[in-house]
Amino acid sequence: MLRRSLTAVVALLIVSVLSFGAVRIGITQIVDHPALNAVFNGIVKAIEDAGFKVGTDVVIDRQNAQGSVQNAAAIARKFASEKVDIVVAIATPSAQACVQVITDRPVIFSAVTDPVGAGLIKQLGKNESNVVGISDMVPVSTHLKLIKAVFPNARRVGVLYNPGEANSVTLTNMAKAAAPSLGLTILDMTGTNASEMVAAVNSVGPDVDVIYIGTDNTAASSMQAIGSAALRLKKPIVAADIDIARQGGLIGFGFNYFQVGVETGKLVVEILKGKKPSELESHLLGPESLMLFINLDLARELNVNIPQELVDRADIIVRNGQEVKR
Amino acid sequence: MIAILEQGLLLALAAMGVYISFRLVDLPDLTPDGSYIVGGAVAVVLLRSGHGWISATLLAALAAGAAGFITASISTRFKIHTLLASIMVMTGLYSVAIRIMNAPNLPIPRFSTDKVLSYEQIVGKTPLDDILGGLGNLQYEKEGMKAVTVPFNNKADGHDLILIASTLLLISFLLWLFLRTELGTMLRGYGRNRFAVKVLGVNPNIFALMGLTVANFLVGLSGALFSMYSGFADVNMGTGMVVVCLASVILGEIIFGSKEVAYGLFFPIVGSVVYQILLTLAMKYGYRIGFKPSDMKLLTAMFVVSVIAARRFKKSEVTV
Repeated sequence: MLRRSLTAVVALLIVSVLSFGAVRIGITQIVDHPALNAVFNGIVKAIEDAGFKVGTDVVIDRQNAQGSVQNAAAIARKFASEKVDIVVAIATPSAQACVQVITDRPVIFSAVTDPVGAGLIKQLGKNESNVVGISDMVPVSTHLKLIKAVFPNARRVGVLYNPGEANSVTLTNMAKAAAPSLGLTILDMTGTNASEMVAAVNSVGPDVDVIYIGTDNTAASSMQAIGSAALRLKKPIVAADIDIARQGGLIGFGFNYFQVGVETGKLVVEILKGKKPSELESHLLGPESLMLFINLDLARELNVNIPQELVDRADIIVRNGQEVKR
Repeated sequence: MIAILEQGLLLALAAMGVYISFRLVDLPDLTPDGSYIVGGAVAVVLLRSGHGWISATLLAALAAGAAGFITASISTRFKIHTLLASIMVMTGLYSVAIRIMNAPNLPIPRFSTDKVLSYEQIVGKTPLDDILGGLGNLQYEKEGMKAVTVPFNNKADGHDLILIASTLLLISFLLWLFLRTELGTMLRGYGRNRFAVKVLGVNPNIFALMGLTVANFLVGLSGALFSMYSGFADVNMGTGMVVVCLASVILGEIIFGSKEVAYGLFFPIVGSVVYQILLTLAMKYGYRIGFKPSDMKLLTAMFVVSVIAARRFKKSEVTV
């Protein structure tokens, strides 16, 4: 027994000596979720691509709040009290919790649609604070114009989202602001979990011409079921997240969350190289990151005629069961 | 360590509420999962509209107390179990909280912010503009926020701890005073033996209403202070409150044994602090033994069940 605990102590000592001098990065995310995990993977990729070795140059302490806001606050305070050099917070509540308690070290937020409205930063661009990050805002009114271009007769657009997700509510409000000038009416299709989402598609779906999904986490994790429910109703889905569009969407225009992670990781790298957060800009994913996805198989099944100029412009096309990238 | 104590004592307020409903008046109540959010939501909305933190906190706690009153009313009037009544109220409060905040998440801004614009307005163009036409007259604008000051400084220098601890002490003292009164004695009597109160000629429903109102008042107080402490309210922040609080109460009971000092009001306080310490240890060292954060919920649930089972086992040994 004594020997075993001695071995453990020695092992611990070796580990701490080995990681001495390494930069400690604390990464906290609100919940275990495909999109947010993709952000994490993107961050690690960007750090490794910049030549830093994870495990020796940088040590990553990954924490997950399991959907609990209390845990997110506890993780933030754990990072604040420990020798974590850089904090990365994925999604709104985790970022809010960190920004509240960590003021002496860089905090980098990611996957927050409205960081200004969430109280993280005063404005996009440079800020005189320790906080910088990436917003995953998407061009909502462009999505509505896209819907109008493909479906000129569309009048009612159903927005499918979880009313408990701050990001989705922001995007829905944007859609509601833009819709009238395009002659569109927005209908809320809400669900707080997978089965409620499918129920929303089945109940409100028949009344809408097109279903629009923003970057909703709940919709993302139930896309298989949502996609087949929409297909039964012969309603097309237009999505702002390429990964959502891939699973049953007709058109997608946006980015995927791995890219969001890579952009976040680039900010981490800048800080690893000695920059201060106040020297870096909080920003959206620029137009060069936006990709157009079109599922031509689904278009045929739904009897939708996609304008050729859009097809020509698409970055990813699904045709005869195969995904083609350009 | 100071941060752990702060969070533990904040949780203790809610745990004291759960102690009152589950133990003192013996009415299992799940309303806290909702009333905790209501407390946070009302407090943040009032703070942002210019209220001072004390009045915002008290009004928030009263709103949460009202939720407990509604649960008890449904339960007594329609003669259904409080557990069922509270599930209904808890579910409804999710929508109520979103209505109160007019959003699922509302920050307490520490600094004034600029207005929020849409992607197109910020970036100026998208790759499809030539096909779809430019920005046009599509405008989106959300007003910026004004800075709000909260009583917490988040520096872990003891300032916040003193504030939280003194609030908790004040509340415990007031509760202790109340439980000593004739009314308080009857309330405790109601929890022990429903018939005894009836014999005294008092309508026992009054005690159900009183017990659950006070319990959820405390939960709302905890939610309001937690929101100010963390800088925001979120509609998902109440999930699992009851289980965590119950685990804390049971931890306290194990530590104190059967010594019921001050009507057992110290069970939830000590239990919450110990729970918070265990949670922190699990976060810090858990991964070394292959423990995943997602296992915490299972462990908490298993802990509560095993303690209850152990007690039953002991009891039957004595009685047989």
